[in-house]
Amino acid sequence: MKPHLSGLGSLALALFAASAAAKPIAFARGSTVMAEYGAGTMNEVQAFYAPRYWWSAGAGWTELLSQDGVLERDIAYVRGNLLAKRWNLPSAQANVFVWGGLGRATGSDFAGSTLARSAGFQADYETRRIYSAFRTDLQESEHFSHRIDTLQLGIAPYEHDYDTLATWIVLQGRRYSNGLYDGTETALLLRLFKGGTWVEVGATTDGKLQAMAMFNF
Amino acid sequence: MRTFTHAVLLLLMAAASTVSAKTVEMDVNGLVCAFCAQGIEKTLKSFDATEEVFVSLENRVVAIALKDGTDLSDAELTKAITDAGYAVVAIRRSDVPLQAIRDRVGREAEDE
Repeated sequence: MKPHLSGLGSLALALFAASAAAKPIAFARGSTVMAEYGAGTMNEVQAFYAPRYWWSAGAGWTELLSQDGVLERDIAYVRGNLLAKRWNLPSAQANVFVWGGLGRATGSDFAGSTLARSAGFQADYETRRIYSAFRTDLQESEHFSHRIDTLQLGIAPYEHDYDTLATWIVLQGRRYSNGLYDGTETALLLRLFKGGTWVEVGATTDGKLQAMAMFNF
Repeated sequence: MRTFTHAVLLLLMAAASTVSAKTVEMDVNGLVCAFCAQGIEKTLKSFDATEEVFVSLENRVVAIALKDGTDLSDAELTKAITDAGYAVVAIRRSDVPLQAIRDRVGREAEDE
C-alpha cells in the first residue's frame, strides 16, 4: 500500500505543478490557451474564454503519471472562474479569484470513470517590480482528494512596458495536504512574457523541470 | 441672408468642436502588466471611431487617436476602461497626434 500512496502523492504533486502562476482571467473578450509540462509527470491543456473581465469559462484536460510509471490518471473537465474583487491602484493591482469545476476522471488505480469536483481561490498583488500570490486548490472525487496551497513571490529585475519583454524570477512554495501526500515543495521559476505570449521555465529543488506556455488573444 | 450666414457659421463651429479632439489621453489605475494593456487595447479598438491606441505601463497612460470626424464621449471611454477591468482617473483631450504623446511619454520615462 505504501508504494501506492507514494504514487498517489506524485500524482497530487503533478496535478497542481506550475498551474498557479497565471491569472485565470486575462481580459474581457479574451481567450486563453495554456499548455503545461510538469516535472515529467503531467501534461495539461486548458482553454478559457472571458466574455467579461470578471468571469471566464472553459475546458481542460490533464494527464497525470506517477514518477514510477505505475499510476496514470486522466481528468477532463469544465471550469468557471470568477474575479470576486479587484483593487486598481496607481501603480499596482490586487485581485481575489474563485473558481469551480466538474469533470470525469479515469485512473489506473480505480475502475471506470468517476465524477471529479474542483474549487479554489487565489489572492494576488502585483506591481511592475514585485509579484505575490497565494492560491488554494481543492480537487476531489470518490477516489481521491487533494488540497494544495501555493505561495509565489516574484521580482522583476527591471520594469517592463507593453512593447518590451517582461522578465520575472519567481520563488514558489507549495504545501500538499489531505492525506495522500504531506509535504512542501520549493521551486525557482523564470517567467518571460511579451504581448499575449507567456513562457515559464523552472525547476524544483530536486531538479525536476517545470514549464508552461500560455497565449492570450 | 444674414440669418442664413449666421446659421451656417454656427453649424461649422459646432462641427469643428466635435472633431477638434484628435486624441484622448487617459490616466488609468491598475496598469501593471502587458495583459492589462492588451485587454484595454482590444476594447478600445472595437470602437469604429478608433484610429490607433497607445498604452504606457510606465506612465499609466492610455491614449487613443480618433478618426477624422468622429468622437467618443468621456462616459463612453470611462465605461470601456471600466468594462476592461481598470479605473480611469483623468481624461484629457487634445489635437496633438498620437505620436507626439508617444514621444512625450518616452521622454518622461527616460527622465525618471
